[in-house]
Amino acid sequence: MSPDMKQKLQRWLDEASTAMGGDADERQDALLELETTILERIDERTGDGESQSEAIDIVLRDMGDSQEMGASFLPQPALLPPHATRPFLIQTAALFAAHFLLVLGATVAGRSLDLPFGSITPLPLPPHPLALFLRAFETLCFDTGFMLLVYAALPKVQRLIRLPHLKLSTDVDRTRKLESVFFLALTAVVLNFFRDDLLALYVPAEEGSAQVPLVGPGLSENLLFLNVWLAAMIVRDLLYARYKERRTTLVVDIFAGLCGLFVLLRLVAAEKLVDLSGAHESLGRSAEGMGALLNSVFVIVAVVGAALLAARTMQRVFRLAQLRGRGPR
Amino acid sequence: MAVASPLEKIGAELRRGVIQVAALSLLRDKLYGYQLVKVLRSYSLETEEGTLYPLLRRLETQGLLRSEWDTAGARPRKYYTLSDEGRALLPQLTKLWAEIADAVSQVLNPAAPVAVSEDEA
Repeated sequence: MSPDMKQKLQRWLDEASTAMGGDADERQDALLELETTILERIDERTGDGESQSEAIDIVLRDMGDSQEMGASFLPQPALLPPHATRPFLIQTAALFAAHFLLVLGATVAGRSLDLPFGSITPLPLPPHPLALFLRAFETLCFDTGFMLLVYAALPKVQRLIRLPHLKLSTDVDRTRKLESVFFLALTAVVLNFFRDDLLALYVPAEEGSAQVPLVGPGLSENLLFLNVWLAAMIVRDLLYARYKERRTTLVVDIFAGLCGLFVLLRLVAAEKLVDLSGAHESLGRSAEGMGALLNSVFVIVAVVGAALLAARTMQRVFRLAQLRGRGPR
Repeated sequence: MAVASPLEKIGAELRRGVIQVAALSLLRDKLYGYQLVKVLRSYSLETEEGTLYPLLRRLETQGLLRSEWDTAGARPRKYYTLSDEGRALLPQLTKLWAEIADAVSQVLNPAAPVAVSEDEA
């Protein structure tokens, strides 16, 4: 190929490259594939008797706009790909809710909440509406930024460690189930390994600990049952991911549902899920009232959760009966 | 610039939809991109590089294809073939395609009923 032709081809490839997304290796890979395709087509045309100059012009014209081709080969990644927008919003909202709940918890207790990954400071008391709004805004900004970082890093991490669900991305149900297994396992780890710091230990403030005495003994007493429920849910989701809807899967699903019902009803009946009796003296007697209010909220949540779970479990029982009616599978 | 007729437009959309199934089926054998373009064209399934290559990359990202560069020849070539997962999926895809083709054939039959009977509604 003459230097002029090479230059023409290189210019076309350079233009295509500017429109490509991906990292340097991916671009290199795509460009080489594009180049060999173009050369292959030029060879075919020159084999048919066309001059090289004519052939390269026709092939490049047929390939279309270089930048359009580059962009279609390796699309520029959006900050948040369209398919990730919904999970991003849901997860950011959940993180914000949990984060702000901890801020309120710290405020109620009147002290900072020292967590393994940072400290959550209370709002000044009495909380001024503007301060409340500003802290909510600040928390939301932090959580959104954090989740954006996670979403930016996640594809790279997945490429590095090749998480199994990447290969299963054509099956949305399976991917979702595996993701739920991940989150259930994470919950189990937090419940069991960080319980002294985070959840399941009641630490009276008088002992001088920086821990907010938020979680009462009602939750600690049920940790074993919570673990059984979590384990049943993990097994259920793994079975759904592997086998979809089968008798075994449904039986495990029903078992998980019954475990959940048992745990939620025990939580409803527990004496104290939340205990603020050791809270900061600035709250005085109102701490007890706030604790009772929070307990009522948690009990209502548990009752509603139990009702929904009972409905779902019943539906699974009917589905199992339907499958049995169809004969062995 | 020539304006595509409605038939050409619909034909192009239809072909674009089936290229994915056809490519997966043909990649039971190891083929490089341009070779696949030519094989598809030999079956009258016209496809552009700008459509096929991104599709191959997407299928590879989804784990249905795997690829490897062959640098032994005069020109390096990137060969694609079905992964284990892709091979497992292919029979299901073939079955699904047969069902869709059958359903569409029935609908296209001039004798096919257009209105749903009262009993079925």
